[in-house]
Amino acid sequence: MGIEFGMEQVWVLPAIPAALFIVLALLNPLLPRRGDFLAALGMATVVGLVFLVLVDYTSVFNGGHFEPDGTNVFSFDWVNIGQGFFIIEFSTFVDGITMVMLPVVTIVATMVIVYSVGYMHGEQRYGWYFAVLCLFVSAMLTLVVSGNLIQLYLAWEGVGLASYLLIGFYWERQSAAEAAKKAFITTRIGDVGLLIGIILLWRATGTFDIQEIIAIAKAGQIDETYLTVSMIFLFMGAAGKSAQFPLHVWLPDAMEGPTPVSALIHAATMVVAGVYLVARFSPVYAEVLIARDVILYVGLITAVMAASMGLVTSDIKRVLAYSTVSQLGFMFVALGSGAVGAAMFHLLTHAFFKALLFLGSGSVIHATHRQEVESLGGLRRKMPFTAAVFSVGSLALAGIPIFAGFWSKDEILHATLKDAPVAVYVTLAGTAMLTAVYTTRLVLLTFFGAPRDQHAFDHAHESPIIMNAPLALLAVLATVSGFLAFDQVGQALGLPGGIGANVFLEHAHHFTEPDYAFAGTATLMSLVGIGIGWAYWHGDSRRAVAARQWAPDLHALLVNRYYMDGLYQGIINRVILGAGSLIAWFDKKVVNETGVDGGAQAVSYLGYRLKFLQTGRIPNYAFGMALGVLALALVAIGNS
Amino acid sequence: MIPIENFLVLSGLLFAIGLFGVLSRRSAILILMSVELMLAGVAINFITFASYRDTEAFSGLVFALFVITVAAAEVGLALGIVLRLFRERRTANVDEASSLKW
Repeated sequence: MGIEFGMEQVWVLPAIPAALFIVLALLNPLLPRRGDFLAALGMATVVGLVFLVLVDYTSVFNGGHFEPDGTNVFSFDWVNIGQGFFIIEFSTFVDGITMVMLPVVTIVATMVIVYSVGYMHGEQRYGWYFAVLCLFVSAMLTLVVSGNLIQLYLAWEGVGLASYLLIGFYWERQSAAEAAKKAFITTRIGDVGLLIGIILLWRATGTFDIQEIIAIAKAGQIDETYLTVSMIFLFMGAAGKSAQFPLHVWLPDAMEGPTPVSALIHAATMVVAGVYLVARFSPVYAEVLIARDVILYVGLITAVMAASMGLVTSDIKRVLAYSTVSQLGFMFVALGSGAVGAAMFHLLTHAFFKALLFLGSGSVIHATHRQEVESLGGLRRKMPFTAAVFSVGSLALAGIPIFAGFWSKDEILHATLKDAPVAVYVTLAGTAMLTAVYTTRLVLLTFFGAPRDQHAFDHAHESPIIMNAPLALLAVLATVSGFLAFDQVGQALGLPGGIGANVFLEHAHHFTEPDYAFAGTATLMSLVGIGIGWAYWHGDSRRAVAARQWAPDLHALLVNRYYMDGLYQGIINRVILGAGSLIAWFDKKVVNETGVDGGAQAVSYLGYRLKFLQTGRIPNYAFGMALGVLALALVAIGNS
Repeated sequence: MIPIENFLVLSGLLFAIGLFGVLSRRSAILILMSVELMLAGVAINFITFASYRDTEAFSGLVFALFVITVAAAEVGLALGIVLRLFRERRTANVDEASSLKW
């Protein structure tokens, strides 16, 4: 190979999509096909480069020079105020966590862009769509290679912006514009927490460099209470971005965007930024166990709540959105139990199977123009391929062995059993079963049974190859990516010690000493969940309807999303709009009418009174001048 | 040597008489003449201080010459204005020319 490409050059990765964004945003009307092929080719290039980085990373490891904490591989001073008092570096940082994120982001992004060529065919603003996707990928890659917090925050807001633009892609639709606003404002609440956390950490350590902060915190040089508060603020940002309770409300609404966007941003990449952030700071969280417990229980509440809401939602994409929220909750539970490797592993597998599920649902929507499961059904006869890959994704989500989701979810469950109260394990295992139930429901209602909307069914057709090819590839990844953590697989790929240790920082229990009883229990739970789902929703869903009538209050609670959206709307209406009208009254009456208008009126009145001094008679003016000269003379005499 | 006070009193008197004239007369011509008296008083003041206090330099004397020059120019201009006023209003009474007011 002529040109060296490795960890040193990792800054090139975000630069390529950033350049593509500029080119596509400005020039897309001039390019053939509005430049979609440029986006796809550019992303494919980035995937290739990521693999070169991966090779370089593992070769460093093989050579025995590997530092487990990673290293800053590229940096220059971006801002330097007061001779080193306030330095912001621009730096890149590569370690195992980065090496999980880079392939996930780039592979899913490439799949989604290729899929979008088919899905978005003939849409208006076609070129702009790809431009914003490139902007998103650029910001996301900057985020995961950032070596310092300010750079990370910049990228953090960048992905938020791209998310906002893409949720509101169909901004002519009122609901899409509102959903975009809701997502932006809700995550902004978390982002304020993140910013406060960054400032608090800077105040204590005097640096923004993540590794330096971690080193100082681990050395115990920061007051523990102070550190706990800072880390909880940092987690607030993570909770906002990763849609954790109580800031989870934006993610289901974010489904207003085009479906491939949901797959990329709101399932596989952006929403796991919070997981990434907490994982990045996991050595610090290990020092402040109160903050870690906060993460654990927030994750647990989110996992349970979201899974239960997924059980009653009828919009196919919203079910998947709740599922995403719930699975993110799983990851945070893992982080809260200190199992960073398990969280990152689940992040990897979840990205593949959830992107697969979203793109599969996109195919359904594309074919039928329906999103409500009430008007779907029986589609496996019309779309056998989509049904097959969607089922693969569902099995991975439900946690059936050999599929990727099983391995990673089992890791999380194992970690909670080992390092958290038993109640946490029991609740989480129950949630995993619930996951199997709602996944089964979704598959049955969409692809099985009798078609409920004959027109949509007749209209349905299998998607073109450009949409099916990414689905096939993701289906393969959703099946096999779980094996990556096996030591044998890693060794077969030429990495002594396996990828589990290399990339996920620690050996996963499955892959060192299999616990058959434990895995068997989890598998049994998943099968029971699928059984329950089958019993309730196969055929005409008779039992599900009966169950709904049996517990109408519970059903209403779930359908109304635990009344949290209503609660927030109430708070906004009462408190914020109330305070706003008070301030508006103050502004109108005191500032405007008294201060500004009052001043103007006083000047006007004085002018009316004083204008009579102007008599037009020359002796009067001369007298005035004489008095003035006299006054000046007196002042001069007084001063001398 | 004549004491300096004599000259100062003279210049002050000329200035005061001029000022009184400017304020009390209604005829534009008389006002102009009063202004000339004031200027004469100022010029005497300059020369007085120049010859008593600042004998080395000529700045006071030069200023007096300036005053005379400017006074000549001013009278030329002002008489022109008075002439226009008289042509317009058939009077040189300044009270009649009071339209420039509120």
